[in-house]
Amino acid sequence: MAKEMIAMLLAGGQGSRLYALTQKLAKPAVPFGGKYRIIDFPLSNCVNSGIDTVGILTQYQPMLLNEYIGNGQPWDLDRLYGGVHVLPPYQKASGSDWYKGTANAIYQNIPFIERYNPEYVIILSGDQICKQDYSDFLRFHKEKNAEFSVAVMEVPWEEASRFGLMVADENDKITEFQEKPKNPKSNLASMGIYIFNWDILKKYLEEDEADPNSENDFGNNIIPNLLKDGRNMYAYHFDGYWKDVGTISSLWEANMEVMDPEHSGIDLFDENWKIYSRNSGMTGHNIGENATVENSMITDGCRVDGNVKHSILFAGVKVEAGAEVEDAVVMGGSVIKAGAVVKHCIVAENVVIGENAIVGAMPAGDEKGVATVGPGVVVGPNAKIGPNAMVSKNVEGGEEQW
Amino acid sequence: MVNSNANALGIIFPNSYDSYVSELVSERLMASIPFGGRYRMVDFVLSSMVTSGIDNISILVRNNYHSLMDHLGSGREWDLTRKNGGLSIFPPYSEKGMKVYAGRVDGLASILDTLKDQKEKYVVMADSNIAVNFDFKAMLDAHIASGADITVAYAKEEIPEAMINNNDFSNLYFTFKLEDNRVKKIYINSKEAGVQNLSMNIYIMERELLINEITTAFVRGHVYFERDILAPKTDKLNIQAYEFTGYKARISGMKSYFEENMKLLNDENLDGLFGANPIYTKVRDDNPTRYIAGSKGKNVLVADGCVIEGEIENCILFRGVKVAKGAKVKNCVLMQDTVVGEGANIEYVITDKNVTISAGKELHGTDTFQVFVAKGQTV
Repeated sequence: MAKEMIAMLLAGGQGSRLYALTQKLAKPAVPFGGKYRIIDFPLSNCVNSGIDTVGILTQYQPMLLNEYIGNGQPWDLDRLYGGVHVLPPYQKASGSDWYKGTANAIYQNIPFIERYNPEYVIILSGDQICKQDYSDFLRFHKEKNAEFSVAVMEVPWEEASRFGLMVADENDKITEFQEKPKNPKSNLASMGIYIFNWDILKKYLEEDEADPNSENDFGNNIIPNLLKDGRNMYAYHFDGYWKDVGTISSLWEANMEVMDPEHSGIDLFDENWKIYSRNSGMTGHNIGENATVENSMITDGCRVDGNVKHSILFAGVKVEAGAEVEDAVVMGGSVIKAGAVVKHCIVAENVVIGENAIVGAMPAGDEKGVATVGPGVVVGPNAKIGPNAMVSKNVEGGEEQW
Repeated sequence: MVNSNANALGIIFPNSYDSYVSELVSERLMASIPFGGRYRMVDFVLSSMVTSGIDNISILVRNNYHSLMDHLGSGREWDLTRKNGGLSIFPPYSEKGMKVYAGRVDGLASILDTLKDQKEKYVVMADSNIAVNFDFKAMLDAHIASGADITVAYAKEEIPEAMINNNDFSNLYFTFKLEDNRVKKIYINSKEAGVQNLSMNIYIMERELLINEITTAFVRGHVYFERDILAPKTDKLNIQAYEFTGYKARISGMKSYFEENMKLLNDENLDGLFGANPIYTKVRDDNPTRYIAGSKGKNVLVADGCVIEGEIENCILFRGVKVAKGAKVKNCVLMQDTVVGEGANIEYVITDKNVTISAGKELHGTDTFQVFVAKGQTV
């Protein structure tokens, strides 16, 4: 039986602007929101929208991502026909190629898509925090009788030139595409989420591959080619929460917004649109006799004996007595030793912050950097990590890094 | 064949000692009683078997077992969705003239054919009234090394008062007289004061021996494995006692249910129960617990999925509990999805699943007698 729509999830990105956090793992595998990884969002959206076949295109540091996805069971994507499949580049009789661009990654997996013979293919991006009903997007695509649709967000005009912009008429039909233009004609930013009719996508992927001058990229090549040929292209307006967490500060900010669902619009507590993840299996968290926890999110396995304020603690984090954690994102398994002060920063997985060490600082004046400590780093006692520091190697006791 | 597993199959009796906590089992059984914030009693013995390399486990349910079936599903969370072995749940097999089993003997007799078909050399049997991180592999090794016919686990402890005072005669418990670890005499429902060798009802023996003993005993109309098979034969059978000295939570009544939950607020106890090997349970995909501005938490064990706006102190909160603004919750065990309304003030209360304490209500028990609110009730 053919599938109506399958999803192809682009998860090969290095996420180089996240530096220390993505040295050893792909951006979609970066932990988020207490017990999730970024990729949980598009995967859960797929399942909640009724899409049961997802190809995940990996390339950069895929080990952890492969392990995390496994057979897809946490997302209910372990299916006899369909389910989730990790698709790395592979060697062929005629040689082997890395994925040269987003379009080429899909092109190399045309045989995978054809096994399911879908009418539509949705292309998703593995580095966004967004809760979206793709079935509503598909309804729009069908209603417009479109051959290609792109999900767009209205962005403030003054920021528009940072995005790929869709110029559309009153019927949402796309008339022009501007990639990061100096003089924007529209404020509809592409979210990098597309629905294609499969026959159209296949045709354009094959033509694109045959063009030696192409960068094999959706934004730079496929979409302009569709426009040139006057295809039926429509812009689907999405007005929910959407965040590209490509930078340290946006990742930090998105985590902070999770703690304020009433205002931010990102509600992880929504029973009707659960975000699934591979669970830690740890026991409940423990708040000690002399601890204080204020306006925070705490996950299973945490032990809090210090003071935690407006912070997210991932599974198994320990905050020892007298330690202070404020405006911080502390990822799984990290230990904040007694008397340490951890503020306005991201502490990655399995980090040890030594006794009385200081990491980050609350914003003062123009200074509002988010200090970042990479996974597995040991910060010695009395060390000091400045608010703009990006630490990926161990820091000796008493040392300072700015 | 490469074998990284224990050469033993597991059998769990989920209904044992149900009547010790009659309030909690009105719609469930001992094995599915919520414990320790996010677990059910069966998770401990089941996970321990799995982490000890036992991957062929049968659960002999007797009654009220819907909640347990729902909890266990296909056994996937315990890695027991196997082609060979895995998890088997045996509901009572209704036959003319057959009643629901009363003791281990008729329970085991009902699965005798299945038992005969298995490959494992040894059988491990356990109840689910003790939450424990138990190394069955070590006990199996000790069993093999000692050359015993049967090995039984016990702990040196006083017999809980609730067990002595329980007057349901079907709840047998056992203490041993030992000589060099060999069980010389088995006492049934002893009222002896002081530290005794109190059985944990965990048994290891060869499958063949179990099949033979059960076949003979069942024909003779015997019911209780310990009373009718073991106790009369302490001279003929070499029954070795295996002392367990680790952390365990034995549920012998509502009071001990409350106390054993509360004990987990102590880090040492929590590590004792959860430190050695993982305890698996059904995943609910809850979000992390949220402490909203103005909330206070002090000395609490809280599972994922809770939203705390009020004050909690000395509490065990299961998954999905909501404590509204201005509410005060002290010395309580609140099971899954309990809602404490705005300004409510409760102390020494145990709430079952889906209980609602309405806004402004006051509810107080004492340290020796906790108020219990049954499943789904609104106060």
